[in-house]
Amino acid sequence: MVDQNQISIENRGELSILDITGDITSASEPFFAQAYKHPDVDGVGKILLKFDEGAYINSGGIAVLIQLLAETKRKAQKVGITGLSDHFKKIFHMVGITRFADIYASMDEALKAMG
Amino acid sequence: MRSGYLFRGLNDRQLEGLTAGTKNIEVDSGEVIYREREEAEAIYMLSSGAVELVTSVNNHIELPVSIIRNPGEMFGSSALIEPHLHTLTARCQSAGNILVIERRALQEYMSEHDEVGLIIMTNLATYLLSRLKESRQELKIHFKTLLRSFRA
Repeated sequence: MVDQNQISIENRGELSILDITGDITSASEPFFAQAYKHPDVDGVGKILLKFDEGAYINSGGIAVLIQLLAETKRKAQKVGITGLSDHFKKIFHMVGITRFADIYASMDEALKAMG
Repeated sequence: MRSGYLFRGLNDRQLEGLTAGTKNIEVDSGEVIYREREEAEAIYMLSSGAVELVTSVNNHIELPVSIIRNPGEMFGSSALIEPHLHTLTARCQSAGNILVIERRALQEYMSEHDEVGLIIMTNLATYLLSRLKESRQELKIHFKTLLRSFRA
């Protein structure tokens, strides 16, 4: 497995923060699956996905995120996303991801809303 | 030119022969280099800046496919494959310079130098196979999501 992404997990009670580095493509699927299985993420009520602002997310990466959001919806987990460039905020809105996750302009804003 | 995936394995003399049909262009941020379904008259190699490749799902949705941001990366390979129509739109994401390699000049050189043509088309096949693998992987992810939603 190519070391495409690193996902570090920080737990703050009901909120788990997934700090994600690297571009997001279909090759990111096992990294997200592994992070989602982590005990600090699996049963938590809220998940915040924090991306690198310079990260590129292609259609395969969007598929991985949709897969994750389908699971979080099934488990009634609230999801927030931060760290996106304006370009990807627009794309996430366009493809409908914003109907399943809230997008925050900064980490502070995300923590205020979700923490 | 050596760093372009299509030209891997070519020697200095062969690379020099390819430069006849090339030119450098400057591109501004937001500028469209080519559009999906347009005739592909050239292939491109990034010198500086960044270019995003996207595909239209419909009039309102455009999906990001890849980002070209390392000097030497190539795009627009549809120029070498019939019907010579671009399958993606290339849009400059940050201003820079691009080397344009004219299709007709490249094809002419390849037909005159069989060994060059063989190397380039072999490199192209390897590249397209890797893209096909990526597309299959993406399809599998969507399929798994769909199956889970049916079972839920």
